[in-house]
Amino acid sequence: MKLSRRKFVKDAAAGAMLVGGAPAMLGRAFAAEKVKLCSLYPLSGAFAGVGKPGDVGAHLAMQALAKDYGLDIEYVSIDSEGNPGRGVAKVLAEIQQSGTKFFAGAILSSVALAVGAEVHKSGGVFFTAVGADEVTGANCNRSMFRWSVPTYGAIQETVVPLIAMFPDAKRWYTITPKYVFGDSLLRNAVDVFKEKGIEHVGNSYHSLSETEFSGYLTNAAAAKPDVLLLLNFGSQSTNTLRQAADFGMKNKMKIVMVWAAGLEQYQEIGTDVLDGVYVGCQYDVTIDSPGNKKIVELFKRDANRIPSYASVGGYICVDLIMRGMKAAESAEPAAVIKALEGMKYEGPTGNEQIQAFDHQCVKNYYLLKGKSAAQKKSSDDYVEIVSFGKSFLTQAQSLCKMA
Amino acid sequence: MNLYLIQVLNGLGIGMIYFLIAVGLSVIFGIMNFVNFAHGAFYLLGAYLCYAIAAATDSFWLALAVGPLVIGALAWAAETRFLCRLYRVEHMYQILVTLGLALVIQELVVLIWGPIGTHVSAPALLRGVLSYGDFAYPKYRLFVIGFSAVLALTLWLLLERTRYGAILRAGTESTEMVSLLGIDIFRLFSLTFALGAYLAGLAGVLAAPIRGAEPFMGPEALTIAFVVVVVGGMGSFAGALAGGLLVGVVQSVMSSLWSEGANVMIYVAMALVILLRPRGLFGRT
Repeated sequence: MKLSRRKFVKDAAAGAMLVGGAPAMLGRAFAAEKVKLCSLYPLSGAFAGVGKPGDVGAHLAMQALAKDYGLDIEYVSIDSEGNPGRGVAKVLAEIQQSGTKFFAGAILSSVALAVGAEVHKSGGVFFTAVGADEVTGANCNRSMFRWSVPTYGAIQETVVPLIAMFPDAKRWYTITPKYVFGDSLLRNAVDVFKEKGIEHVGNSYHSLSETEFSGYLTNAAAAKPDVLLLLNFGSQSTNTLRQAADFGMKNKMKIVMVWAAGLEQYQEIGTDVLDGVYVGCQYDVTIDSPGNKKIVELFKRDANRIPSYASVGGYICVDLIMRGMKAAESAEPAAVIKALEGMKYEGPTGNEQIQAFDHQCVKNYYLLKGKSAAQKKSSDDYVEIVSFGKSFLTQAQSLCKMA
Repeated sequence: MNLYLIQVLNGLGIGMIYFLIAVGLSVIFGIMNFVNFAHGAFYLLGAYLCYAIAAATDSFWLALAVGPLVIGALAWAAETRFLCRLYRVEHMYQILVTLGLALVIQELVVLIWGPIGTHVSAPALLRGVLSYGDFAYPKYRLFVIGFSAVLALTLWLLLERTRYGAILRAGTESTEMVSLLGIDIFRLFSLTFALGAYLAGLAGVLAAPIRGAEPFMGPEALTIAFVVVVVGGMGSFAGALAGGLLVGVVQSVMSSLWSEGANVMIYVAMALVILLRPRGLFGRT
């Protein structure tokens, strides 16, 4: 076949357009595709106080960032009611009825583990900010990612520095919620006690629905500890701390809340009670990093509020899923997962990275101390940063065998 | 002091708070045979009015005086406008309507004060603890116990030793007979419903400095109130007191014996009472 000059030029031009313009065309095609992203938070029940800010953060990330990333996202919010059974049922309905592949959120580890397993079965992606080690440990799977530091790191970055700060405080008492998250914190705390020669003088378990803690605090007072370590979360840790202060325990021992929910919880507790109490947290508004400055500005501008751990947790989970879509230039879960594995980014706590072997984000955890009324510079200035650091299990130590 | 003795004393303290939460429900159910699922919502509203009034005026005492009265007035308005139509229908309809009312109140609280809980300080006079050896007990909780005891006595006198109480008790036996005597029994029912809501609001105000105020505290109070009323005997004033104290002591002592099951043991105690005394400790046969 004879190739004319005219045909050669035409074909070459078409070929060049195809090669050069393909990514742009692909990008446009991808952007045109509406992707459903579902957030899952307890919007009612005992953990709604933490769930609602999480939902606000997730929604804000979608509104503020989707356009920048060239994505068209349909955001759907589900109320998990803080109940694994109900949360999973709603997620399953969303998967089966709408074919949704992308999920973010959860406050309770039990909810996240159950939802993570179902999303994995359906071949989707789930990004969470819960605490139990199992999420990126024994129960890890290819679909599940986590932003927050797990319980191992939370204990390492709170209990270990406090033991160093108060070498004479040898007797520690724990109050633990009897569910996955609490057991995980307790196990890690006991390991540190053994390693550092600390006497664990007792532990009181309580149920997920408990609101009256005076009986457990009576047990703790009777054991005469130097440190009372609170391993519960949300309104339960708020009530435990409040009641411990009522019973005069702040004057007799150090009180440490290992896993605080951040600003909303500080507001709920109040300065009088929080003053002098040590708390561990995933995030603080005062973190000096470029990523955090952008987030603080965005929250102030678009949501008229200061970001907290709960709201930033919601924000970053959605942000990272969308970053994965952008990097993969696809809304196919397998491609997004591949893009997320090993991803480095400027996060709220500075430089953060997603480990490929267990899908855990490597980031700082913070030990904070409650300020007195005289120390506060503004109404929302409740805590100061005492120390921070990164503590994670290595691949050799990890129980994660990625399915 | 022995740990279990301390837990019994602490349990009596918790029990008096539970009595306070339950007594309003017991009064409404016992006297009017009306199942009020909005009781927890009145308690919730009490806690938030305490927060709002104390924040605005810096006076817990004003909140204690005014908050429950506001709730009593709201309940009276609700009873005279639509709840009064439910006396002659099955309990299921009463539950549906009052549950709806509870949800409306809860969502209004979220709309007005937001979804995040808030802190209410005890009055300056009642901050700190009283100590006896190793045993320390918050002054504020002691005040609540004393206040509840005085309230219990006042209520007993009102219901057992006054003309109002006598008419009410007669009205529960035969509404028609009391009406034939020229007494407007439904007006008394309105007042009684308002009194029950006032007591729930009072419990909310008094509970606020102990457990704060948060929008979802209503169902928790309702659950405890029903357990106490079932244990004590439906409609029995003495039963509400005995039930509250029993539930409080069981919960507190079990915190030392089997801490993870302390909450569950409340319901086990209820089940045992139902098995052994189906009408509750002080229930009428």
